[in-house]
Amino acid sequence: MKKFFLVSFLIAIVIFVGVASTTPTRGGTMVIAYWGDPISFNPDAQIDDAGYGIYGSIFSKLVTLDASYNVIPDLAKSWDISKDGLTYTFHLRKGVKWQDGQPCTAADVVWTFDQIMSDKAAPAHANFAAVESVEAPNDYTVVIKMKRPYSAFLSFLAWYGTFIMPKHLYDITENGSPVSWLNNPYNQHPIGTGPFKFVKWVKGAYVILTKNPDYFLGEPYLDGLVFDEIPDQNTALQSFLNGEVDFDDNVDVSQLGILKKMPHVLIDDSLTPSRYYLAFNVGRRPSPFHDKEVRFAVAYALNREQIFNLAIKYGEVAEGFYTPAIPWAYNPSAKIPDYNVKLANEMLDKAGYPLKNGTRFTVTLVYFQGQEWSDMAKIIKEQLAKVGIQVNLEEYELATYIQKVLKGGDFDLTLLDGFQGPDPDNLVLRVGTGGDINVMGYSNPEVDKLLSEASQASNIEERAKYYFEVQTILSQDLPIYPIAEVVNTYAYKDYVEGLPFTLTGIGINNYAKTWLKK
Amino acid sequence: MQNMIKYIFRRIVAVVIMIFLVMTVNFFLIHAAPGGPATVMTGLEFPSKEIIEALNKQYGLDKPIAVQYLEYMGNLLRGNLGYSYIYSESSWNLIEGRIFPTLILTITSSVLAFVIGVYMAIFVSRLRNKYGELSASLLSYILYAVPSFWLALIMIIIFSSDLKLFPTSGMLSLRYSYSGIEGVIDFIHHLVLPVSTLTLIQIPVFYRITRTSIVQNQGEDYITTLTAIGVPKEKLFRKYVMKNSIVPPLTIFGIMLGFSITGTVILERVFAWPGMGRLMLDAISRRDYQLLLGIYFLMALFISVAMFVTDILIAFLDPRVRLT
Repeated sequence: MKKFFLVSFLIAIVIFVGVASTTPTRGGTMVIAYWGDPISFNPDAQIDDAGYGIYGSIFSKLVTLDASYNVIPDLAKSWDISKDGLTYTFHLRKGVKWQDGQPCTAADVVWTFDQIMSDKAAPAHANFAAVESVEAPNDYTVVIKMKRPYSAFLSFLAWYGTFIMPKHLYDITENGSPVSWLNNPYNQHPIGTGPFKFVKWVKGAYVILTKNPDYFLGEPYLDGLVFDEIPDQNTALQSFLNGEVDFDDNVDVSQLGILKKMPHVLIDDSLTPSRYYLAFNVGRRPSPFHDKEVRFAVAYALNREQIFNLAIKYGEVAEGFYTPAIPWAYNPSAKIPDYNVKLANEMLDKAGYPLKNGTRFTVTLVYFQGQEWSDMAKIIKEQLAKVGIQVNLEEYELATYIQKVLKGGDFDLTLLDGFQGPDPDNLVLRVGTGGDINVMGYSNPEVDKLLSEASQASNIEERAKYYFEVQTILSQDLPIYPIAEVVNTYAYKDYVEGLPFTLTGIGINNYAKTWLKK
Repeated sequence: MQNMIKYIFRRIVAVVIMIFLVMTVNFFLIHAAPGGPATVMTGLEFPSKEIIEALNKQYGLDKPIAVQYLEYMGNLLRGNLGYSYIYSESSWNLIEGRIFPTLILTITSSVLAFVIGVYMAIFVSRLRNKYGELSASLLSYILYAVPSFWLALIMIIIFSSDLKLFPTSGMLSLRYSYSGIEGVIDFIHHLVLPVSTLTLIQIPVFYRITRTSIVQNQGEDYITTLTAIGVPKEKLFRKYVMKNSIVPPLTIFGIMLGFSITGTVILERVFAWPGMGRLMLDAISRRDYQLLLGIYFLMALFISVAMFVTDILIAFLDPRVRLT
């Protein structure tokens, strides 16, 4: 009997401990090895990728994206979209306060969006092109009227450069003239509505935040959050393994192999909506790749599985023409041609490029600095040499690359990656006629028409149909040759729970639900 | 004395002219680099023409380059180092915060490297032992050839990861905030690894130059004469050889001090040290013209002053050098 009690007592303890470890503990400071230095803490005025990872803890948006790119409520607890897609009505949470104690209302939202629409240099400016007006019928309702239906609007509203900013601190004048939001003193010590309050920023070194107990989604579990700027990825790895850092946000793909073998280290390497691809010069300066047959021949000559295995190693070999990380828009039946050297040679012969002294023609592959890029370029060079295409490699730093490739169109082949979300409307930029990132100079009126119809369609099934068709056309025109899907590279210690990319329903960079199990 | 004042005056005029030329050449050189701040900022994710145009207008880069040049030089004459486009702040504000972390790292290690390198050379010379000479030379060659980023990482792996003696990176402990004397100790604790790495890399320079200089001096005719008239070797070395041999390393030391303000890009990156080198590298890659020019201005000024002071110092040490 005694034994029975003892055993049940022990079991009870085990259960209790088990339960206790799953209820979040409060307290502690999490240190993040962070890759870059923010430009400022004005989250909407400038393109600032290093700032973006931190803004999400200090500021809130009207709606935001979670790690799976779902649009989720933030300051707005709900919203309605009219049947014609022309009116968006957002219902704001009540009782939300700025970190200086002032109430956050619809007036702040209207001011922020008006500011974005009036500043052409604001990163979200272009995403508001279809907006007619933003109004606040009362303190807790925001109505956005559109000039035309734009179904990707909500996703873009939830994404970049759309953090709601405090009107009472930014709508100010000095000597009678309004102060530009670029020069506002609060850019150096921001006030937001997010889970953490700003404490200190030493440029080039670190950013320290402390919890905001009044946060509208509940008091954060952590007492504080530190973004430790460690630009060198090897150093970041050592700091992480030495325990000075709890979460390594500056992992290089090549380090995933080492990290996976480490005890007490967890890794997130799920797909992210970005992909490596080879772009052909289709309509810029003269190039053999204006001929579709030659593009196909190159596709048959390339072995993307080998490129992936040797140069990229982590992620997935690409199979289609849009990122599978946004599954509803991904067409699995629009396939990339598979490796077939014999066919490649035949096609090149037919296209009028016979083999002379082992060479058919010479082209230039331009890419920017970085290990994975130069590795990919070298392998592509070697693979194409086997079918008699001689590739000259040109490597540039980013600014020169942009000048040469994006602006000048001075290349035959180039390697790219980049964010393809938050909505497939992003394809307009990459493959639409005159699109900002359409380096290929690709233009197909059918694609343009489908993309425009997709952006105006109201429901997701209808939109998906258009995007599927776009991908089918891309697989026939082949302006690009996708190589691989990019993965997240996050590493964290096993005592860190509730990181935003492990949860759904919380903003991508929001650490309110993160806690330390120690 | 009259000569001295004349000399100083002439040097100051030369410095002013030189800085003016340096700034002019730099201004046009960095504007000639492909791309601009707007191109880099918009990058490959937001490269819309409207944003780039709006940014160029905001930065004043839509004006003719001659106008931009005159405006910039006008500001510089009024003591304004310019305005960072990227950070929307005055260049000086950004540079100011980097001066202390940079100088404490570079000057401390230059001094240590000078002392250790020169002492090593003297020690080896007095030892008059083939193996001592050989091992010191070998060590200096190895340290000279080792890439600094590699040495830095090895130092981290040995002293932080394995022995756990020093923190891996940064300038302060971030998990706990120390204040007062504890804060100073914490700072020094973080300083040890970067300073030692930079010192190790610089030692060979001083060692080799001093050693060569000593060997050269020992072969001079006056040494032979003095030896012949019976001056003790010890005295000969201390009074004549050493004094004459110290001039070349001192000149190098002066130049190094001049460059100390530029920081050390590679080591700052590896140790996550917020110094001038990283600021400069960022400014270059982001084409932040006026921030970069501000840093160049400070560099030119620092180097000129350091050379100037070195020249005077050497003139005092070596009367053969005339300040003319």
